[in-house]
Amino acid sequence: MNDRTDPTPLSRRALLKSAGVLGAAGLLAPWLGAPPPALAQGNLGNLVPEEPVDATLKRLFGGRPIKDGSSAITLELPIIAENGALVPISVEVASPMTPQSYVKTIYVISDKNRRPMNARFNLTPASGQAFVATNLRLGESTDVRAVAELSDGTLLMAKRDVKVTIGGCGG
Amino acid sequence: MTDIGKVRIRIPSGIKAGDVVRARVLVLHPMEIVERRAGKPVDKNYLFVNRVVVSYAGREIGLFDLTQSVSENPFLSFAFRATEPGQLKVTFLDTHGGKYEGTADVKFG
Repeated sequence: MNDRTDPTPLSRRALLKSAGVLGAAGLLAPWLGAPPPALAQGNLGNLVPEEPVDATLKRLFGGRPIKDGSSAITLELPIIAENGALVPISVEVASPMTPQSYVKTIYVISDKNRRPMNARFNLTPASGQAFVATNLRLGESTDVRAVAELSDGTLLMAKRDVKVTIGGCGG
Repeated sequence: MTDIGKVRIRIPSGIKAGDVVRARVLVLHPMEIVERRAGKPVDKNYLFVNRVVVSYAGREIGLFDLTQSVSENPFLSFAFRATEPGQLKVTFLDTHGGKYEGTADVKFG
C-alpha cells in the first residue's frame, strides 16, 4: 500500500493497483474507498494483507487502546465447527444506537486465517441495533475476535475460541 | 454459475412503526479464494463480493466490506429501525464489477 506515494508506479500491476487506490485516498486501505472503476479489485495487491493478527490490529487501530468488551459484546460462534468453510457468527453490541452514541463499525478478525481481517460492518444510528451476522471461512482452529468501534472512538473487543475440524481455506 | 448474483432477502412480517427489525440476506456468489501454486499466491483478479451497501427508504444505513474469508453464497444479517414504509435495498458489489440487488418492502400492518 506504499505505492500510493511512489512517483514511478510503471508496471501494469502497480498502475491497476493505484487506480484502485485513488478513490480511497486518505482512508485506511484501498478496499475501503468508493468502488474503483478498474476491474482489478480482486488482484492480490488489493486484498487485505496476509499478515499475523498482531499486524492486523496494529494496522487497523494503530496504538489505540482496545478495552475488554466481553460484557458489552455478545459474540456467538459454534464451539466446534465441523466445516471450516461455513462457520456462522453473530455479533451484537449493547448500544443505544442514537446519533449521540452508537456503534460505528464492527470488525470480525480471525487470528489464524492467513488474512485475519475478515469483514467490516459500518453501521449508522438508523441500524437501531448493533447486530450483524454472517458465515465465515476458518482455515483452522482459531480465536475469532469482534472489535467494535463506538462513535466516541472507544474500541471494545470480545474473543472466542473455535475448534475447526475440517479447515475451510480461510483466504 | 448461471444463478450468480441471485439475491434473497427476508424481513419478518407484521412490522410495527418504530420496531427494530432484523433482515436476512443471501446472495449466490462463488467468493473465489486465493489460489496457491508451490506455496505462492497466484496474482489474478479473484471474483468475490467485497462491498455491500444497505439502504432503507432511500438512505444509506449500512456499508459492509467483505473478504474471501466470508463463505461462498454469503449470508448476512443486520438490524434496522423501521421508521417509515419504504424499500429496504441491499446491493452487492463484486471485484469484477458485478452489481446485484435485492429489495424488500417495509410496510406496517
